[in-house]
Amino acid sequence: MNDSLPSGTRRESDLVGAFVQLADTLVDDYDVPEVLHQLAAHCVDLLNVSAAGLMLSDQRGSLQLVASSNERTRVLELFQIQTDEGPCVDSFQTGVVVVVADLSVATERWPVFTPQALEQGFSAVHAVPLRLRGEVIGSLNLFNQRPGGLSAEDAKVARALADIATIGILQERTIRHGEVLTEQLQGALNSRITIEQAKGLLAQAGGLDMEQAFQALRRYARSRHARMSETAHALASGQLRPDAVLEQGHADAM
Amino acid sequence: MSVPESPEESLQRVWSTVAAALDDGFGGTDVLALVGEVSTRLLPVDGVSVSLVGGARTRETLYASDGVSDRIQRLQCSLGEGPSFEAYEARRPVLVSDLAADRGSRWPVFASEIGTYPVGAVFAFPLQRGAIGIGGLDLYRSEPGWLSAEEVTTALRIVDIATLALLALRVDSLNGEWVVSLPRERAQVHQATGMLISGLGVPAEQALAKLRAHAFAVGRMVDEIADDLVSGRLVPADIEL
Repeated sequence: MNDSLPSGTRRESDLVGAFVQLADTLVDDYDVPEVLHQLAAHCVDLLNVSAAGLMLSDQRGSLQLVASSNERTRVLELFQIQTDEGPCVDSFQTGVVVVVADLSVATERWPVFTPQALEQGFSAVHAVPLRLRGEVIGSLNLFNQRPGGLSAEDAKVARALADIATIGILQERTIRHGEVLTEQLQGALNSRITIEQAKGLLAQAGGLDMEQAFQALRRYARSRHARMSETAHALASGQLRPDAVLEQGHADAM
Repeated sequence: MSVPESPEESLQRVWSTVAAALDDGFGGTDVLALVGEVSTRLLPVDGVSVSLVGGARTRETLYASDGVSDRIQRLQCSLGEGPSFEAYEARRPVLVSDLAADRGSRWPVFASEIGTYPVGAVFAFPLQRGAIGIGGLDLYRSEPGWLSAEEVTTALRIVDIATLALLALRVDSLNGEWVVSLPRERAQVHQATGMLISGLGVPAEQALAKLRAHAFAVGRMVDEIADDLVSGRLVPADIEL
């Protein structure tokens, strides 16, 4: 949108725009899955990567995906594999950023993850831990079709976006020891399950793929200023008819 | 018994015992008593209860390890408020490590009434799978205090076992097979559940039950059937037995 500006200025303006939008959201009453989805989308734009996803600790020793810039089934698979191995797990366990500029030499490191990532056309992958005081509560995963590392500046932006995700997960609620963290993590993980159920429901009812179903869900919630996770719950529990959501999608497409 | 069982071994054992008990057609209370026993043994809590939630806020306590646990549930049911109700409605745990300090804020009547009992902390976990809200597992401590990170993990694994046990107990012709073989559920399982809600016109809980029953009937993994549905190799009508 700022095509007339030199690239450095444009980037700065995009950064400001993204952080202002996220800050605006966080002072309002907001939905964790929605904020994390926005954040993943900002990662793609600001860091010039092909896909971004946020994985959270399930507090049982694994990571689970809660938001992705891309809801295609194949891409979600790449996050799912990482409940067992991959850059996200490594950054989660070590608490440090994992940068893999050339994925083709990482097959030995992650024998299941790497071939699948390469097969999907990704050449580089990075993972940034979500840190809260001494604890790591999840990981931000960035995939790129072009090989290459993160510049020092991009690494800083990625770090800041990961910090915003942590703040977003904890919401406005004060941290009384670990209780709120467990409440929020477990709540966010269940919201994601509900969103998957709602995606399946909309996909079946409207003949959509999972990405289109997610977009229909999100669009409907936004148009009504409703929480995406509440809309998903209303759908999956039979309180909201899929037709209402699908019709909204048709109206928007016109 | 020379070597004491590790928490991991205890959980594994309860997991298999619960599965086997379901397989043998044991009643719900027997199975839930196992869950209760492991909770009070592995966690620094004084009591536990497992409740089933039906529609319209009807909550039925299926198992309570002691009188205080039972009282915590009865009180909430008669008042219509309390941490277990909040956990179910908010669809996330409600963890109050110091009930006295929290008093009056969220459930004033419950907090004041429970004050006459030796309850220092209450940890209310919803038993759920996305939009499927099935019940609750409630722990209490007589003294205030939170859990360590390891104890949180143990509590959540017990919650997982209780969720599966309740889901299984609600389905006819149970089979331990699908309880034991449950891996971490992948997104496709939840998507397929959603497809069956719409395609078969059934509630979420039944949709998941049908998916599992079908997988068992044809001798395949739930994951594989879910993949087939999501990728269009199966349609919802194929799942209707």
